[in-house]
Amino acid sequence: SLAMELPPSHFPAGRAAAVALGYLRYLRGGPGRGLQLRELRRARRQDIDDVGHKYYLELELEDVLDKDRSVHCTAEVLYHLGSPSTAPDVQVAVPGELRSTEEADQEFYNQIRSLEKELVAENIPDSHGNVPPELEPIHLLAWAASGYVIWQNSTENTKFHLAQVKHVKQVKRPDEDLQFDYVLLLHEMVSQEVMPWEVTVLWHPRRGARVSRH
Amino acid sequence: PANMKLIFIFSALIGASLCLETFVGHQVLRIKTKNEEEVKQLQLLESLEHLELDFWINPSAPALPVDVRIPAVSVQSVKAFLESQGIEYSILIEDLQDVLDKERQEMAESAQRQRSSSFDFGAYHTLDDINNELDYLASEYSFVEKIQIGESYEKRPLYVLKFSTGGSNRPAIWLDAGIHSREWVTQASALWIANKIASDYGTDDSITSLLDKMDLFLLPVANPDGFVYTHTSNRMWRKTRSKIPGSVCVGVDPNRNWDAGFGGPGASNKPCSDSYHGPSANSEVEVKSVVDFIKNHGNFKAFLTLHSYSQLLMYPYGYKCTRPDDYAELESLGRAAASSIRSLYGTTFQVGTICKTIYQASGGSIDWSYDNGIKYSFAFELRDTGRYGFLLPANQILPAAKETWLGLKKIMEHVRDKSS
Repeated sequence: SLAMELPPSHFPAGRAAAVALGYLRYLRGGPGRGLQLRELRRARRQDIDDVGHKYYLELELEDVLDKDRSVHCTAEVLYHLGSPSTAPDVQVAVPGELRSTEEADQEFYNQIRSLEKELVAENIPDSHGNVPPELEPIHLLAWAASGYVIWQNSTENTKFHLAQVKHVKQVKRPDEDLQFDYVLLLHEMVSQEVMPWEVTVLWHPRRGARVSRH
Repeated sequence: PANMKLIFIFSALIGASLCLETFVGHQVLRIKTKNEEEVKQLQLLESLEHLELDFWINPSAPALPVDVRIPAVSVQSVKAFLESQGIEYSILIEDLQDVLDKERQEMAESAQRQRSSSFDFGAYHTLDDINNELDYLASEYSFVEKIQIGESYEKRPLYVLKFSTGGSNRPAIWLDAGIHSREWVTQASALWIANKIASDYGTDDSITSLLDKMDLFLLPVANPDGFVYTHTSNRMWRKTRSKIPGSVCVGVDPNRNWDAGFGGPGASNKPCSDSYHGPSANSEVEVKSVVDFIKNHGNFKAFLTLHSYSQLLMYPYGYKCTRPDDYAELESLGRAAASSIRSLYGTTFQVGTICKTIYQASGGSIDWSYDNGIKYSFAFELRDTGRYGFLLPANQILPAAKETWLGLKKIMEHVRDKSS
């Protein structure tokens, strides 16, 4: 059937956009890059018989560390019919280059590797919305981790946001990856629940973020 | 001899000892002794404990004055005694309670002056601090009154600021914030807005003409129990703190508890849920108090409520996905308000019915108010759109409050024009 135009300002389209953003944060986010949705430009929905509902999105994103630039991308989010426990399929196209994070990534990597005691932090942001500057990379890495959780756990009737990093603990590893065990608070807009998720993230400047437990 | 006389006079007063809760009628005398003999008289006086004389400067040497506080009941007798002995004295303090009252009042005024100039509207505050600021506003402005419309589940007062420049039960506007306690930018914005309205009456044409025709009732902390809980225990708490029979879970979603499609879609019947609608409509005293107040008043023309986050400006309905009868006017007014909001910092608010904009949600406050004849019913969702969510940095409070105020003002001006 044909794709139906959706008002981009309304939640049904917004839910699909949140999934696309989560996926993109996981794929391209990290301590040096925090992708944020500036505007959902266009949204269409197609009901595919025996398959599910597919959303076509045009998104304008920004890197919070590079706000002067905006990134246009397109995404397709397919919610599978009848199996809400299956993660939606997401495809994203990001034309052009995102700002390089090589230097920031390496700096972060060196910093953490050189810590004598494993890093521990909690409540990021705090109750008043503050994030100490030195914890911003840990905060943005949590965005990437939450992106994975949001992508994997979204349905057409949920809209997740990362509410807070409740707790983060670094775990030193014998190999080259950094490991962070996060407790993330996710806010689900439709039910209004705020629930904790334990996520273990491995990260390396060249290999990016990988969620190993969720 | 003098001693005998002394004992005779004052022993009669043993039975008349008062419980000294106040100092009404107490006098402070300064006694000037001329010789050792007079000092000894005063030291004898001092030893009579039942007189409860309070020597501020004890009798020690003739050259030094003796200051003594005398309970009301003994004043005349002590003076009579001093005069009969030829001991000079003067009255330092005619009535001590007067002095204390004045001092307390001055201290309170000074504290209020300091508080007003030091209340930081751009920071998040505790419930106590907020209530103190409400007291300040009520004391500073003659047309602002703090009233109590009820009590929360945990017996905290529900304080409303009434802005009224006169008349009798004028057409009124209702504004509340913080019904969901974790939405901190709303209580903070409400306080700024209260101060803005109070201080701009008389100088701002719009506010002045508004309050000259209508009354405004502002409830800055609609869910005080939840609010305190967000400070002491769980920053993410949303609901009330009422005990639910048969459940270990606490609290009801106060914006699913109104009598508008109660128990319908978009609300949970599970007590542990953050959108639990409660055992019955108006089961929450925080909701019932507002319902009763508005019904008893009988002349409200607008019902406005602040939430966060998502940057939305919505009108009924939430419990059903059909348009309200006044759809055209509300949509148009909503757009005008959103446009005003955007004019300040470029912040975009989406406009629409609750059902179409976010989701079907039953038992909401503006659906109740609309179905009860209050046409101009709007719900705002303030900043942001998810980056910080409930944890909006304090440095965004003032921008959020200012832009929101422009939207509210647009609506209020329209209501004023339609109500006259």
